[in-house]
Amino acid sequence: MSKPLEVLLLDDEPIVGRRLKPALVKIGCRVEVFENPREAVARIGQKEFDIVVTDIRMEEMDGLQVFKHVQEKWPRTKVIMITGYAKIDLAREAMGKGVFDFIAKPFRPDDLRQIIANAAEALGAPIDFSSMGDELVEA
Amino acid sequence: MNILKKLKQIRHKEPGIREFCIQTIRFKKFLENARALLDLFEDGREKALGEYIFDRHYVVTLIDSVIERLGMMVYDGCVLVPESGEKLYTTYDTHKRTARNLIDFSGIVKKAVSPGDVTPETSKTVDQEYQLLSEALQWFNGKDAPLDSTVMAFMKQIFLKVIQGHGSSEVIKNRSLFENSCGKIPDMGIYLIDLWKDQLALPEGNSSINDFNSIPLNHLLMDAGGKDLKAHPNPDWIAAVGEYQLSLNSLRADFQFHLVTLATGDADADFIFIFADDAAILDTLLPPGFHTENTGYGQFAWNLGISEKTIEDSLMIIGRNLFN
Repeated sequence: MSKPLEVLLLDDEPIVGRRLKPALVKIGCRVEVFENPREAVARIGQKEFDIVVTDIRMEEMDGLQVFKHVQEKWPRTKVIMITGYAKIDLAREAMGKGVFDFIAKPFRPDDLRQIIANAAEALGAPIDFSSMGDELVEA
Repeated sequence: MNILKKLKQIRHKEPGIREFCIQTIRFKKFLENARALLDLFEDGREKALGEYIFDRHYVVTLIDSVIERLGMMVYDGCVLVPESGEKLYTTYDTHKRTARNLIDFSGIVKKAVSPGDVTPETSKTVDQEYQLLSEALQWFNGKDAPLDSTVMAFMKQIFLKVIQGHGSSEVIKNRSLFENSCGKIPDMGIYLIDLWKDQLALPEGNSSINDFNSIPLNHLLMDAGGKDLKAHPNPDWIAAVGEYQLSLNSLRADFQFHLVTLATGDADADFIFIFADDAAILDTLLPPGFHTENTGYGQFAWNLGISEKTIEDSLMIIGRNLFN
């Protein structure tokens, strides 16, 4: 892959960004982490990301509002929702509106990496996991 | 069909038989709640050991689910052994307080740590979600937790009370209740009650166990008499059966034995649970794969999440060892 995937990761639980960022960097993504949805939306206003990964349930602004903002500003960007089991129906509904995929917490980084790979494929920039072999196992 | 609708179908006119059926159904619910608790423990353990991403909400929900399910188990225990109710609820309240303390204490620590203060090197040691899960697992079933302070220890106490209550139950000891209601000598020395039908014993003139459409009962007796089931002059057993359910109890005063099994073909739901007051019996009775727990009162054994084939094989071996 010539150009790294630009990923914005938004979750108001700091642990999610802290634990996920290294896992995504290892597959060649360039990751910006946000805990505040307003700050994330402001950043999305400035920069086109390939993929936005956002929690669905946040206090100031929920994931669907973030998705709407992305869709209006950058229609090419793929949005992936992180959800708890209680909100799975909402996430499925969101997929009908154009969200690329969703993942339910708790999850393994590998599960999200697979969805990211699918999104990259859909963007025409597939990730070559085979070239990452041992590094990925360590991640 | 929900349990209330099923209960309405129990139309045994004899109050003692009706009570026996209700106790049997309640005990199965009790086991299902215990199993759900073990599944919650396992889920938490898996998340702690594996490379999972979870948040505080997951751990809090896990703790709340344990408390909720433990409450259901306590309620079942109180229905089965009403005289233990006060003691069980007192201990349950202690566990509820422990749960709240776990959640609240973790919240305080969380506020005290600013994300900006966390360096990558120290982040693993201050991830409050992982710390909270670790503490919750200690409370569930921790090896280092103080004796009798864990949920698992409390579950064992409830089990013991329920089993002791079951062993001394007037209904289960009332051999004449089953003799009078059946009115005939049963096959294999087993009185049979269909849990969900308006009949106590078999149709007039027919005394074959094969007429009962119960999958686990058929498995149990498959290798213990087969088609040549013989009428037994000294019945020692009472079995409550449904199509997928079997609850087998010893009627002997000097031997307490209780087997409960569900064999629906769904491995996630099916199980075999056995209690015997003589641990030596279980040592010779059980096929491999059972988890056993010894107590001063007897031995528990269970096998959960088992395939259709395993449940068939296990019941066949148990039946052969028990009746041959």
